Amino acid sequence: MSPAEDGKHGLACPRCRSGTIEVLTNSPVPGVWTIYSCTTCLYAWRSTEPEENTDPDKYPAAFRLKPEDLAKFPLVPTIPPLQRS
Amino acid sequence: MRAFKNLREFLQLLDAEKQLLRISDEVNLEPDLAAAGRAITQLSETSPALHFDRIKGYDKAQVVLNVHGSWTNLALMLGVEKNASLREQFFEFVRRYEQFPGTIEHHDGAPWQDVVVDKDVNLFELMPVFRFNRGDGGFFIDKACIVSRDPDDWNNEDLETVGIYRLQVKGKNRLGIQPVPVHDIAIHLDHAEQLGQDLSIAIAVGNEPIIPVAASMSVSYGQSKYKMAAVLQGKPYPVVRTGKGLNVPWGSEYVLEGRILARQREPEGPFGEFPGQYSGGHRYPVIEIDRVSHCKDPIYEALYLGVPWTEMDYLCAVNTCAPLYVQLKKEFPEVVAVNAIFTLGFIVIVSTQRRYGGFAKAVGLRVMTTPHGLGYAKIVIVVDETVDPFDMKQVMWAVSTKVNPAGDVTILPNLCIDLLDPASEPAGISHRMIIDATTPVWPDRRGNFGQALDSPQQTDEWRKKLGAMLKELRT
Repeated sequence: MSPAEDGKHGLACPRCRSGTIEVLTNSPVPGVWTIYSCTTCLYAWRSTEPEENTDPDKYPAAFRLKPEDLAKFPLVPTIPPLQRS
Repeated sequence: MRAFKNLREFLQLLDAEKQLLRISDEVNLEPDLAAAGRAITQLSETSPALHFDRIKGYDKAQVVLNVHGSWTNLALMLGVEKNASLREQFFEFVRRYEQFPGTIEHHDGAPWQDVVVDKDVNLFELMPVFRFNRGDGGFFIDKACIVSRDPDDWNNEDLETVGIYRLQVKGKNRLGIQPVPVHDIAIHLDHAEQLGQDLSIAIAVGNEPIIPVAASMSVSYGQSKYKMAAVLQGKPYPVVRTGKGLNVPWGSEYVLEGRILARQREPEGPFGEFPGQYSGGHRYPVIEIDRVSHCKDPIYEALYLGVPWTEMDYLCAVNTCAPLYVQLKKEFPEVVAVNAIFTLGFIVIVSTQRRYGGFAKAVGLRVMTTPHGLGYAKIVIVVDETVDPFDMKQVMWAVSTKVNPAGDVTILPNLCIDLLDPASEPAGISHRMIIDATTPVWPDRRGNFGQALDSPQQTDEWRKKLGAMLKELRT
């Protein structure tokens, strides 16, 4: 089932509001839950979670981000120069 | 002293000692598991572990939480008296720690090899991973022992490290990992990335209780965590070698084998971290899992992490105090005990005798230059040898009556600190403070401490007598 067909889940990522959502996996017992993932910000959520985690309008403001913020995340640990062989 | 062969054996003991609560209700992965893990440490300092076996969406999954989450469970792990005080556990832990190194015992096979998945790995099917806090960027594995070696010296068993680093499950076989520069695994990754090679690792989930304690200790680079676990449990530590040559605990429930991908970073987090704040987002390395092995009907172990006190604060308590104590004692034999149980040792309390005036401040400075102190020990309180640093009533008495801020508070500007300290500015840089709460000795003549108060004669005898009477009254 795609997120759009699901009904409960819109087309936007709760965290970054991108439309790049995919179904990551389904519950081993069929039909109990679905895990969605945003391929832009890598946020993931389960369909059975509280609405704060699944609904873009109820997602807590402190944790929202814009796709362009991702490039500003600190890079840790730094990548060392390649050794010359 | 007691060694447990696996998590199941320890759970049996917890069960027998009424330190295991079995939840038979069907539960949701969110928010039930994290909420229960949070609530259980709010109830008591003697809380039990929690076992769940009816998880919505899974046929047979089992989850345990709070295995290390009380002084009682830690006492049972050490094989000391169940009600042993924190102070007693500290001195017993130090005694074992000082016997380092122990030995590693190699086995050819282990129960975790019973079921092997090496095609189409889907971690979400195999393990009931769940979200801990609402602002977490996804689902995390937070109590796994991660094994790595130095690619420049792959066969050197002493350079093999076992550490607990948070893992974000981002895809069916894709994880994010947080190896901050102070972690030994960051050294291994740096060496692999200089060569442009992936770093092979193994991830052990659901372990007998001593290896998570060793894995979360600050030891010197080159000190094997398995050899540390061996002295802590008083018995050689059993391991099995993976195809890549990594030692993995014999008693694990799950073993994930994979690679940290060379020179790749990807958004990770946030994650609710030990200072009681979210970590923010970072671009961290990425792991691909190639193979998952597990016992039949495996038990998934996790730990709730949030505003202290949580299971993590118990897990990283005595094992944080002991190395600091031993390192300090080496140069300052006057040191009596060290309490670094608060927030991984951001605050450290040391009790010591004083050689001469000003000595306590020197001890405080040394705490900050120990390997662990470099990233923690933001505030060091030094108290007299007669004050028990594990008894906050005594410590607060010392601070409230021995300290004159005019001369007893020393602030050192802009030192290094763990990046996760939310008060640091910029992240990783912080002032530090020594509070000298000791009684001044010559030539420090400050204050009016000439008429110290002690207990009436025969108090010790009366304490013993009344203690015995009380015990009888209450049994």
